[in-house]
Amino acid sequence: MIKCVIWDIDNTLLDGVYLEPGPAGRPPADPAMLGVLRELSGRGILHAIASRNPPEAANYAAAVTGATFAAAECGWGAKPDAIRAIIAELGIGADAVAFVDDEPIERAEVSAALPEVLVLSPEDAGEAVEWPEFSPVVVTAEASRRGQMYQQRRRRQAEARAFGGSRDDFLRRSGTRVVIEPASAADVPRLHELSVRTHQFNSAGQQVSTDALAELVGSASHRVVIISLSDQFGDDGIVGGCIIQTGTTTTRSWTVVLLMMSCRAMGRGVIDALLAWLCRAAAADGASLVRMPCRLTPRNVPLRVALAAAGFRAGTGDGAAGRTETGGGPPVEPGSTVFDRELTGPLPVLPGWAETRGGA
Amino acid sequence: MTAAAGPPVADALRQILARVTGSDDLLGAPLATPLLGAGAGLDSLAGTLLLREIHQRFGVDVAGEDLNLDSLATLGTLTEFIQERAGGG
Repeated sequence: MIKCVIWDIDNTLLDGVYLEPGPAGRPPADPAMLGVLRELSGRGILHAIASRNPPEAANYAAAVTGATFAAAECGWGAKPDAIRAIIAELGIGADAVAFVDDEPIERAEVSAALPEVLVLSPEDAGEAVEWPEFSPVVVTAEASRRGQMYQQRRRRQAEARAFGGSRDDFLRRSGTRVVIEPASAADVPRLHELSVRTHQFNSAGQQVSTDALAELVGSASHRVVIISLSDQFGDDGIVGGCIIQTGTTTTRSWTVVLLMMSCRAMGRGVIDALLAWLCRAAAADGASLVRMPCRLTPRNVPLRVALAAAGFRAGTGDGAAGRTETGGGPPVEPGSTVFDRELTGPLPVLPGWAETRGGA
Repeated sequence: MTAAAGPPVADALRQILARVTGSDDLLGAPLATPLLGAGAGLDSLAGTLLLREIHQRFGVDVAGEDLNLDSLATLGTLTEFIQERAGGG
């Protein structure tokens, strides 16, 4: 059972950023999170704050939410350290703590350092009030499935931490399987959801409607693939997708219209497998170049790290100015930067635990 | 510059690298160690945590200044990149 929820402040407890007040002053409490906070308080669950902010931010959050926080760690240090301090102060176990933060990177860092902590996005927190961890009485099938998924994640992270070897060794030993295969019409709703919900690993930053996706899935000039992930701890289902314009025989290049991956799959080798597959499948199709227009934001730095590792490079010259024409490929959105991967020399290696199906 | 030594920035980076990858072997990494892929085994998650910590500790926004992240080639290139921008580190 969860005894204490530790909250981030910016874009989590508050509907905005504490240090960036608008014309109307500092941001108000986030209505959805306020509801969760009150509901859980009613069940006797404690609250605490861990935030990258000056200490006054905790007082402000307490004032606008009307809640009492049993502990508050505000500062510029790492979140896992803040959470450890709160756990020590309150004298509770890490497995009795949930942590809510809107930033996937913060969540990933806490999950990796403190695998016993239940780490939630604000969206998850809205659902989690129904999970058995927060209430022994109300349990729906969907709630217990999600609860299980988080348990699997905690077990995986605990083992990853105890495992001494490299990340690749751990992925292999835990039976990681990444499957890349052509999307079918049945996958359209999930692909749409990924286009709306992914940010860190989203190349073009575009939402794609289900109608447009259905058309692309059936298009002769495009390939749409889905990526599924599982390991001995559990099955994550479809965690990513990719829309590719394979071009004509004259252009000899593949253009990645949209690449997206759930942050749930972060740190598990999926993005590297997908980029390696892209290069190899394009080369096998006779292309000499893979192009990926990206809308660069502070949030998709993880995608850029993966692109650099796979040998993609932004066009020379004033990169961020972008190009509007891709040699017969689709037009590029203004403000996009095109990352290219020449398919000469050694290509990125597709890891042994990744497999392709259905001619992908 | 000698193998496992180098300027103080390099040592600070080794400590960050060891933490974000969970591998204490990197505390003695030579400057020629590649950071991405097989070398230091930096994946996109660990790489992003590294860049964030560099921003906080040295005030250098690597992702903002290095479009292709060429500075992540080796521990040595990243050390130089930070030294040039953080005023000698």
